[in-house]
Amino acid sequence: MALLEVKNLTKDFGGLRANDQINLKVEEGEIVGLIGPNGAGKTTLFNCIAGFYPPSAGEVWFKGENITALPANLICQRGIARTFQLVRVFKDMTVLDNVMVAAFNRTNKASSAQKKALEVLDFCGLVTKKNMLAGGLTIADKKRLEFAKALATAPSLLMLDEAMAGLNQTETAEAVELIKKVRASGITIFLVEHVMEVVMPISHRVVVLNYGRKIAEDIPEKIIQNEEVIKAYLGEKYHAARRRY
Amino acid sequence: MKKNTYQWFLLAAGVAVLMVYPLVLKLPFPRHLMIMIFLYATLGLAWNMIGGYAGQISLGHAVYFGTGAYTSTLLLMKLGVSPWAGMLVGGLLSIGLAFLIGYPCFKLAGHYFAIATIAIGEIAQHWMLNWDWAGAAVGLTLPILPESLINLQFHTTKLPYYYIALAIFALTILVTYAIDRSKLGYYFKAIKGDLEAARSLGINVARYKFYALALSAFFTSICGSFYAQYVLFIDPDSVFPLMLSIIPCLIATLGGVGTVWGPIIGAYILIPISEFTRIHFGGGGKGTDLIIYGFLIMIISIYQPFGVIGLTKRFRKKEQP
Repeated sequence: MALLEVKNLTKDFGGLRANDQINLKVEEGEIVGLIGPNGAGKTTLFNCIAGFYPPSAGEVWFKGENITALPANLICQRGIARTFQLVRVFKDMTVLDNVMVAAFNRTNKASSAQKKALEVLDFCGLVTKKNMLAGGLTIADKKRLEFAKALATAPSLLMLDEAMAGLNQTETAEAVELIKKVRASGITIFLVEHVMEVVMPISHRVVVLNYGRKIAEDIPEKIIQNEEVIKAYLGEKYHAARRRY
Repeated sequence: MKKNTYQWFLLAAGVAVLMVYPLVLKLPFPRHLMIMIFLYATLGLAWNMIGGYAGQISLGHAVYFGTGAYTSTLLLMKLGVSPWAGMLVGGLLSIGLAFLIGYPCFKLAGHYFAIATIAIGEIAQHWMLNWDWAGAAVGLTLPILPESLINLQFHTTKLPYYYIALAIFALTILVTYAIDRSKLGYYFKAIKGDLEAARSLGINVARYKFYALALSAFFTSICGSFYAQYVLFIDPDSVFPLMLSIIPCLIATLGGVGTVWGPIIGAYILIPISEFTRIHFGGGGKGTDLIIYGFLIMIISIYQPFGVIGLTKRFRKKEQP
């Protein structure tokens, strides 16, 4: 049984079909990448899985349970945590308090929430900034905090929506290390990413969306040779990106 | 550690001063002034739970204040129930009302929520103005009972009122402090910060908004019952006016929203201004205090949006770079 299974998921916004009959599976312990051009429906798919939008049709199964259209808070309690593409930290709260809010997902006691939060901050390399206001962090640290918040809810599936966008090379490399560390700790990862240098080396499988449809799903080595994927998305961009490094 | 002892010392000194104050100042006015400060500070603290911590600006809190005042008074007049029991019933009734009001209104965001609560406050006031059984526009004069703690009436001295108000005030501070340190407080602040992010972290937003409003309504209602017993006359214009909804908000905003001490500081600044302008200008100066409030709020929001509390933090930061 797959950890996460999306069956025939369709999402319409008025006349626009953002997701069209999408099927995919994420197995326990995997890192699955989700790529596609802008507007392909990646974030919409994330939102449907995480309970932010109710799908127009289709189902989402998690750990053998139908979680379709459950509210986001219940989905989080069941073990799916997600980060937002545009970071959503609580800017008037300290870094520690931000992560404590998340840690309360699994406990009612402030002391144990604080302990968990400090562990996660240490894990993410933010512990020295724990007393700073989240609003005053750099974008890289905000992304890190967003990541820490998701981790502190103690998920079994972590969904990262462009966790690397806007980061420089060093920061990206650090973030990749962090993702590998998380996966080593037994958490399954499903990520949307535009930075191919990130997705390709770390993903076990890559799913490609275009105009709301799934056009390919394979191991990274095959994806980069897939004609349709190159035409729709990788093409120029991937080669251009390769040239840069 | 050292800072902690210093804080405990300050707190103990504060408590001692408040305990001794009415024994030193025996005239009715200084005692009345403090009772009003306690009452409004409690209202500010109660409003702060929903408006400050959870960030849902309610401008209809007079509904809960009036519910407290009318419930304890009507129970006393019609059934002879002790005001203390009436206070509790009023509080519970206000929690029920909070649910009825919160259920539809919490679907509204930001300013729309504030507008809806204003409308509900106005509806409540007009309802009470026309409800004959509850005294309508004439209001209710409480029956004069023998002086006793059980009857919560004292005619020769304000001293017992002072200590009762102080006790209610202290209880509200303790509850606020407990909220501030617990899951509730963190969740309230998260809801204020970002609804979607709060949801994604497993917070049942609707439920926690209701908890905040229920707590807030309960303590506001207790203030209403106390006010009725203190003044011994209530009418819709004195316990249901829009101003009564706005003042706790001003108090909390001036002092610093979403903090334990903000509303207390706010009340200590605003209520003396209000009482002294009333003395100086009498009836003709009605609203002078509000003009001053408005001016203070403008200054605060321009220079220090976190209120007077934010100001103290700023100075402290300068001391230790």
